[in-house]
Amino acid sequence: MKLQAHGIETDLPAGWEGRIALRTPPGAGARTSGEADPGPLGTAGEVPNPVVHLANFALPEQRGDFGSGAVDLMTEENVLVVLFEYGPESVGKALFKRTGIPTRLTPAMFSASALQRTLPGQAGCQVFFTVENRAFCCYTVLGRQSAANRVLPQANATLAATRISPR
Amino acid sequence: MTVVLVLEGVVIAVLGLLVFGLLRSHAEILKRLHELGAGLHGSPAPAAQLPVDGPRPGRDFQVMPQMPSPPDREGFGGSADLAGIDAGGHETLTVRVTGVEHDTIVAFLSSGCLTCQKFWDAFRKPRKLGLPAGTRLVVVTKGPDAESPSAVAELAPPGVPTVMSSEAFIDYDIPGSPYFVQVHGPTGRVKGEGTGPDWDQVSSLLSQASGDAALVSSLAGSQVAKPGADADRESRIDRELFDAGVNPGDTSLYTVDGAGDGPDVEAGGSGPGPDHDHADPSP
Repeated sequence: MKLQAHGIETDLPAGWEGRIALRTPPGAGARTSGEADPGPLGTAGEVPNPVVHLANFALPEQRGDFGSGAVDLMTEENVLVVLFEYGPESVGKALFKRTGIPTRLTPAMFSASALQRTLPGQAGCQVFFTVENRAFCCYTVLGRQSAANRVLPQANATLAATRISPR
Repeated sequence: MTVVLVLEGVVIAVLGLLVFGLLRSHAEILKRLHELGAGLHGSPAPAAQLPVDGPRPGRDFQVMPQMPSPPDREGFGGSADLAGIDAGGHETLTVRVTGVEHDTIVAFLSSGCLTCQKFWDAFRKPRKLGLPAGTRLVVVTKGPDAESPSAVAELAPPGVPTVMSSEAFIDYDIPGSPYFVQVHGPTGRVKGEGTGPDWDQVSSLLSQASGDAALVSSLAGSQVAKPGADADRESRIDRELFDAGVNPGDTSLYTVDGAGDGPDVEAGGSGPGPDHDHADPSP
């Protein structure tokens, strides 16, 4: 199943679903009382960048950029992949010197201390990279660190099926 | 002697009447069976044939105002994963409906229809919907080509995925809004579909469909085996017929007194004797 927006395209394997959202700067399109969640809120003056959430479980509607709200629902066999784009000012910085989407995540790269929010048994991994002059962070969360060998091939396959084009 | 002869004559007359009555009754039964399409030869009488296409809305029955007519097809439609944009157009999203552990109720709504308003309101309180455990509710509207994203965003219930996708209406063969389809996650099979004026009725309809499916499954698992003597007799008859060169479907199995020429007898097994559809002899 294809998912495509904002120059990011992925072909999701069976059982996976995804979202590509654009962070909404505060004040842009103020919400009315009955309006649905307008998406992730950024900071004033920020140029909105896409955030991609890919998961092998049903993604909830209320999610933070780095998966808060979704990680709470994860079970042992679940994995969440976040591709968070940074602004053009980050391109060329040392942190983003790696080129290309990471497609070979290994269990050794995961740690509970890498989680944005620590939850029992879970482990995370962050890889910063640049593709087509666009700077990203690939943040991956495992529902259970001990299941890494089983679920990481799915995550790597999903990342391998993801393409990023120039802006 | 005369008395004995008279009595014997009376008895014979009574028995004759009895036999005549029985034969007439038997002829009447055969005639009725033939009219019902269970006759031994030929096609059933046209008057007894049921309509092939079933009742049609507007022709054979009326639906409530503001309600879509059922689709003109037999059985349930197909299912597909959902892809589109969210209410308001902030996100591009995919929602997996098939090949997942949970079931999904896909609610096809519109921002404009009056009946849909009741569902938009009901979905704002998902906990009160009484969804079966492990069932996900997803709302689908037509895409931005047919719906205003801002209008859908105003109605979209928070916490419930809302996908704007005209393709989904085609994939699921949706006749109009509101319409609901319940999909079995692991198989992607449609468990039930339909519409109603409010959530209570739709919920009841879907539970009935799921309940019926569960009943069929449970019955399949509790079928009573034939008694051993019946099974043995059936096997023996099958074997003897096969040895005599009478294979399954042989016309002689369906012929009475040398008449008849085709295996179109469905009522042949209705009597008390063994069923002559013998088993496939291949290993």
